[in-house]
Amino acid sequence: MDGACLELAGSRETGGLERAAVDETTLVRLAQRGDRAAFDLLVRRYDRNVLRLVLHVVRSAEDAPDVFQEIFLKVYRALPRFNFKASFYTWLHRVAVNACLDHLRRQQARPEVQAPADDESGSEYFHEVADDRPSLNPMQALRAREIRGRVEAALARLNPRERMVFELRHYQGLKLSAIGALLGSSEETAKNCLFRATQKLRGELGDLR
Amino acid sequence: MTCKELEDNLLLYLYGELEGESRLAFEAHLGECARCQASLAESRRLHQLLGEHPVREPSPALVLQCRFKLDEALDQEQLGWRGLLRPWTLGPRAFPAARAATLLALLVFGFGLGWSLRPFAARIGPEPAMHNAAALTGADLDNLRISGVSRLGSDPATGDVRVRLDGERQVTLEGSLDDPRIQQVLVYAVKSYDNPGIRRDTLDALRARSEKPPVRAAMVYAMRHDPNAGVRLAAIEAVQAAAWDSEVRQVFLEALERDSNPGVRVASIDALSRHADEEVLPVLERLAVDDPNAYVRIKCAGAIRRLVEDESAR
Repeated sequence: MDGACLELAGSRETGGLERAAVDETTLVRLAQRGDRAAFDLLVRRYDRNVLRLVLHVVRSAEDAPDVFQEIFLKVYRALPRFNFKASFYTWLHRVAVNACLDHLRRQQARPEVQAPADDESGSEYFHEVADDRPSLNPMQALRAREIRGRVEAALARLNPRERMVFELRHYQGLKLSAIGALLGSSEETAKNCLFRATQKLRGELGDLR
Repeated sequence: MTCKELEDNLLLYLYGELEGESRLAFEAHLGECARCQASLAESRRLHQLLGEHPVREPSPALVLQCRFKLDEALDQEQLGWRGLLRPWTLGPRAFPAARAATLLALLVFGFGLGWSLRPFAARIGPEPAMHNAAALTGADLDNLRISGVSRLGSDPATGDVRVRLDGERQVTLEGSLDDPRIQQVLVYAVKSYDNPGIRRDTLDALRARSEKPPVRAAMVYAMRHDPNAGVRLAAIEAVQAAAWDSEVRQVFLEALERDSNPGVRVASIDALSRHADEEVLPVLERLAVDDPNAYVRIKCAGAIRRLVEDESAR
C-alpha cells in the first residue's frame, strides 16, 4: 500500500483518549505524569515510522526489535525531563537516530559479525509488495538483486555518521537542516557529511551500469 | 556560477533544497556546461542504483512483535524491582500492622479472583481445564462486562496471541490462533470494541487465519462497516490474504464505489487490478471520470491502462 494511500486514509487514533482530538502536548504532559495509556498512544503514533527507519539502518530483522525497544525505553525514562523546546517528534527521532548510530558503531567494532544477507525468499518481517514491473524478466531480476547487494555493501562501508546522514536524507527524506538538528550539529556539517558519503558511494558503485 | 560552485551545490539541487537565485544560477550554468551536465547525470544514475535498496514497510507481524516486547518491558519498568522489595526492606517497625493486614487481604483477594477466572484463561497445553472449558460466547463476554481490549500482542517465541480484556474483571486470554476461542474473541473484538487501534491490531493478528469462515466474515464486516478508515484499510490488507472469490470481489467493488475515504478506494483499486475481470473494467472506467478525488481518478486510469495492456499481450 503506497504512502499516498496511507496519507489519504488519515491518522489512526487509539485508546479512550481518541474521542477528544487530543493534541500531542497534552498526551506528552499526561505521559510525564505517569499515564501509561497516554504514553502508549504516543508510541502508536510513531512506532511504525521508527521501526521502518531502524529496519533500513540495521538491516537485520533479528536486531531491529531490540533497537526499537531500546529507543522507546529511553524515551519513556527520559520523558519526565522533556522540556518542549523541540517537538516530541524531533526529540523522539533524535533518540532513534542516536540508538541507530550506537548500533552501527557496535557493529563496526565487531567486524566478525556478519549482517545477514537480504532474504529474497520473502522475509516475514517485511510487507512484501509484488514487483509488477512487466518488463522485469529473470535476467533483469538477477541483475537487480546483484545491484541491491552491491548497494547494501557500499552503504555498510560508510562510517556510522555518514551512513546515518545519508539514510536520513536519501531514504527518509529529511532536510539537511533537520538532520543537523537531529545529530546535534549544523546544516553545513550534515551537508559535508552527505557529500563525503555520496563520494564514497560513487566510488564503490561507479562501475555499475 | 563556476563548475566548482555547481559541484558544491549538486546534492542540494538533487534533493530539492536549492532555491531562489542559487537555483537559477545553477540551472543557468548547467545549460551551458557539458561537463556539469555529465556530472549531474552521473549523480542521477547513482540515485537510480540506490533505488534498488528501497525502504520497505515492516510487516504487521513484526510490528505486533515489537509492540508486545515493548509492552512487557514497560510493564517491568513501571513495576520496578524497588517497588517489589520496599515493604520487606523497611522492616516490621516501618510497616504498620494495618497496612500489612491490608496487603495480606489484597493478596488473598487477588488469588481468589485469579482462581475464579481460570475457566476464562484459554492456555494451550496439556491441562485438562483448557480442553473442558466451554467456548466463550458473545453473551459470556457481555456478562464479563468487558469495556475494552487493552492489550493485544503475539508471543515472538511461540506465535501465540495474548489478549487482555478490561472490565469489572481483567481477563487475559492466551493461546494459538488455531484455538477457536481465541478466534472467537478476536472476531468479537473486531466488531465490538470502541477502540480502532485494537480493532486494527486484531485484524492484523487474524490475517494468518483468514481462510476460516468466521474470521473472513469479520474481516469483510470491518471492510463494509467499520467507522474508522484506518481499520477499513487494515481489513482490506487482511481480506487480501484470503482466497479470492466472487464475494471478496464484490466487497472490493462496493468499497471502490461507496467508501467515503479515498485511501480505501485506492487500496480497493490495487486489489481489484490484481484480479481484474469484465465486471471490474466498467466500474474503473466510470470512476476514472466521476470520482470526486483526483488521485483516485488517476489510479483508475492507470489500472485501466494496465488491464488493456495485459489483455493485448495475451
